[in-house]
Amino acid sequence: MSSKIPIEELLRWRVAKAETDAPPAPRAARLLEMARPWWEIWPERFQSFVERLGGIQVAYGHAMAEPGQSRTGHPVPTLIVCPVEELETSVRVLYINVRDGRLRLRFQLDAGAAQDHESFEVTFVSDKPERPLLSAAAILSLESEYCIDTELCEELAHGWEQLKVTDRMPFRLILRSDKDVG
Amino acid sequence: MKAENESLLSRATSLGSLGAAARQQGEEVAAAAHFREAFGLALDAANQATDGGSHRARLDTLRAAARFALDCGEVTDARRLMNEAFSIEASTKFADEWAQLRDVTAWPDTWLVAAVRRDPPDVQALDALANRYWKTLFGRCQLLTLNHQKAGDLAQEAWCRVLRVRHALKPGGNFPAYLTTIATNLWRDWYRSAQRAGDMADHRLESLDAAHPNEDGESVALIDRIPDLKALSPEDQTLLAMDIDKALEQLTPQRREVLVARFINGESCAEIGQRYGRTEQSISGWVRQALKEVKLHLEAAGRGAAVKA
Repeated sequence: MSSKIPIEELLRWRVAKAETDAPPAPRAARLLEMARPWWEIWPERFQSFVERLGGIQVAYGHAMAEPGQSRTGHPVPTLIVCPVEELETSVRVLYINVRDGRLRLRFQLDAGAAQDHESFEVTFVSDKPERPLLSAAAILSLESEYCIDTELCEELAHGWEQLKVTDRMPFRLILRSDKDVG
Repeated sequence: MKAENESLLSRATSLGSLGAAARQQGEEVAAAAHFREAFGLALDAANQATDGGSHRARLDTLRAAARFALDCGEVTDARRLMNEAFSIEASTKFADEWAQLRDVTAWPDTWLVAAVRRDPPDVQALDALANRYWKTLFGRCQLLTLNHQKAGDLAQEAWCRVLRVRHALKPGGNFPAYLTTIATNLWRDWYRSAQRAGDMADHRLESLDAAHPNEDGESVALIDRIPDLKALSPEDQTLLAMDIDKALEQLTPQRREVLVARFINGESCAEIGQRYGRTEQSISGWVRQALKEVKLHLEAAGRGAAVKA
């Protein structure tokens, strides 16, 4: 019997064992294939979503004048894609912050849109020209808001640094449910 | 001609030093610009050395140019320059000063990351980088998920996330720490989703299958004491790993994450506190509490005589 072993040493031993038991690293080609964004894999699908997104009309002035909405931002035209249906709607950006190359954004689905998704894969699409900018996971918080916290490329980080929640957002959104993503 | 060549190389070297300094300070745009300029000058020097210079001078210039090419992620150019050098002098292939350049697995992280953030990324560099940090990443993922399959999924997904934003990677940054952070953030998101999904969440359903009581209703994973860790038989190692995993499973995900950050990633309580928006003292308290809880659970598993918190 040895002398007593500190818990931290046990943890390190456990990690070392896990490392020894690790499966082989995936090959670069597989990682690159897995990392390909969905719009590259299904360009036609992306195009059809973009066309629908472009058709969504949001009454900005009316929406901003609604009582109780003074502290929230512009509605952002949004297409929700689920396996059984596609819903044209909008979301309200409640918070946006770009710092150190990271985007932190919170939004709320407009009333009437499906509220029961734990998470979405959110694709940001630029207005004109309509092209995919990035995709990120949005997780539903306890306050029924969806939160995004993700890295931005330099170009977007620079361009969005000054964005305020009250600005008109330079993007539209495609929200894909987990089931659709899977 | 020789003097001009030396002057070009000297300017390239100075620019390379500036690039390295900028990279160290996280100023990647400036670093890339310096390295690119240094690469251009070194290429000019290499071209001049072709006209009547000595073999040695030309090889040295080619090597410098290849290094600067790798510094700015121009892997194809670097390989072309290396091949040129090997064609001038075949023995160069085996010379020590070319060894690191030739062998992609010997490249420092800065070169590998610079090669991966390019479009298209260099596949060999990505293979080398993935191999270099896969086991370490998997080990941390195992401790967070406490499940071999999920650890693999998490590690793989972390890599995918990194690759999706690879243009934003900083070659001078701490790549393995970044990879671990991405995996930890992902795991936190998964956990939150599962928590909201409630009783039907994957991990809960799996935990029903994971209980393996023996005929007496006691866990078969328990052994009485922990002998010298290095002397454990493979079977005992498996049992001990199961007991540790069970003890960790009893912690809240946040406490587990803090233990991993503190003792496996080697972060200080102050650093962890910054991430959580808590004071160093709070985190220190969390760590003590988590250790105490693990000890209690290991005691319950019959290993109390051998561990101390």
